[in-house]
Amino acid sequence: MGNAIEVADVHKVYRANKGEVVRALDGVSFQIPQGRIYGLLGPNGAGKSTLVKILSTITPLASGRASVMGFDVTRQPRAVREQLAVVLQQTATENLLTVRDNLLIYAYLHGVKSADAEVRLRAVTEEFELGERLRDTVQELSLGTKRRIQVAKIFMIEAPVIILDEATTGMDPLMKRRVMDRLRTEARNGRTILLTTQVLSEAEELCESIIILDQGRAMASGTLRELRTLSTHLFRVNLLFAGTDGDLVGRLQALMPVQLQVDGNSAEMVFHGEEASLLGKLADISRDTPILQFEVRGPTLEEIFIALMKETR
Amino acid sequence: MSSITAVFYRDYRQRMTNIGFVFWDLFVPLAYLLLFGLGFERMLGGSIGIAGKSFGYIEFLLPGVLGMVTFSVAMNTSWGFFMDKDSGIFYELLTYPITRLQFLIGKISFNLLLALIGSIMAVVLGVAALGASIRLDLLPLTAAIIVTATAGWFFLFSVFAIKLARMDSFNTVLSATYILLMFLSSMFYPLSDLPIWFRVPAYLNPMTWQVDLLRFSLLGVGSATSLLLEGAATLIFCLVCLALAVRALNRAD
Repeated sequence: MGNAIEVADVHKVYRANKGEVVRALDGVSFQIPQGRIYGLLGPNGAGKSTLVKILSTITPLASGRASVMGFDVTRQPRAVREQLAVVLQQTATENLLTVRDNLLIYAYLHGVKSADAEVRLRAVTEEFELGERLRDTVQELSLGTKRRIQVAKIFMIEAPVIILDEATTGMDPLMKRRVMDRLRTEARNGRTILLTTQVLSEAEELCESIIILDQGRAMASGTLRELRTLSTHLFRVNLLFAGTDGDLVGRLQALMPVQLQVDGNSAEMVFHGEEASLLGKLADISRDTPILQFEVRGPTLEEIFIALMKETR
Repeated sequence: MSSITAVFYRDYRQRMTNIGFVFWDLFVPLAYLLLFGLGFERMLGGSIGIAGKSFGYIEFLLPGVLGMVTFSVAMNTSWGFFMDKDSGIFYELLTYPITRLQFLIGKISFNLLLALIGSIMAVVLGVAALGASIRLDLLPLTAAIIVTATAGWFFLFSVFAIKLARMDSFNTVLSATYILLMFLSSMFYPLSDLPIWFRVPAYLNPMTWQVDLLRFSLLGVGSATSLLLEGAATLIFCLVCLALAVRALNRAD
């Protein structure tokens, strides 16, 4: 299978209100093979939403090239949109219409025939527990339910590429879990999913590959394993001490961890450096406060992300 | 369902949820015809002469009221862009597999029906209740003018609705435009007796072109040369505004 999304040296420049030039994207490149779940991470203002807007043909790119399922976003915008189901960052529902109209009109606008739309409506409303809400006007519903409708809409159609920009924000945990399971199923069936999120645990759990953006540039990309390799000197240490003494926190802080969390007689720390040099220092501490349990693990995505952000700023 | 039909259906469902808007579109022009028209007819006492023919004020005003229908329907349809922005769906709509042109055409299509219904109601009121005498043989031309004018105004107002970020700015622009274009035109009075500083902008006003064309199709008055010019100008106005609206949607980020 080929690439579902290709982004090559994409630049995007905005002119801010006071004439200041803002480089929203500064030479971003990546490819997403078909049937993969790809995470786009980065802090606020990193360029994630701009990239989503370029890929979904809302905004033009300044230079470079981007394509979806082989269709160029600049030259073939309608063909690109035929490949896409997009959930944007802000809540997007037809507030004056009923839930039923929201789902059906979305399908109609994506070229689904009336009879097929009715069949899909039944399946989607059951899966997203919207059956009892079908005749309610959307403006009467909670933000979480509106978000659920917005995500449910993408399953009314069969576009090969799904773009989700902070899609699970505001959803209850059970529904979020259901959406994530459904996305995994869709990827197994060949749909490609591009997910932007600030919930790093969500990306870690769901995404097979990740690109980290900051200030419009791609700082790192690859599978979670590859990103861990990029951060070879970053590791997490979990410790359980036999007791606590007044100076334990101070002595742990003296080890200069990137992160430190102490809860009673247990401590979680993230270090940047050589494991061997740390072991000697921990042995010194254990002479006064014995260590009952010691565990060293690779970093989580969040830790990699924070370390990368610290490196670049 | 085709793209245009789907957008048509969406607008139909939306408009039907707010009867107040539909009331505004259909009945306010009727109120103008009934109250304003009757009041001025009685006040003037006689008739208004155009191109050697004389008409009662109701007859004179009727084409202007149809112009008002096109304007009101177009204004409220373009206001729908702000509802879409408010509910957050505006940008999502731009990711749907329809061209910007299809989106605009679909959006105005249902509202063209409303404009035609409003116009029929005004004509029926004018003829049946207020005694206006019109040419029935040119009603298809009247319908064509209504459709072109409504679409043209909608495309123009859409540019403002898409470009302006704030609803209050949009409302201010529209209110000012509404007053200027209605009163600086041949809608309520013949332009021939007015001072030159008034006539020049009035003749450049698309509302004047449309009302003059409607006055020809309903009453049979107007010179062939000026009507041809005004017809061509109305068509060009509609196409230029359509191009501007498509451009605005393409740059809506």
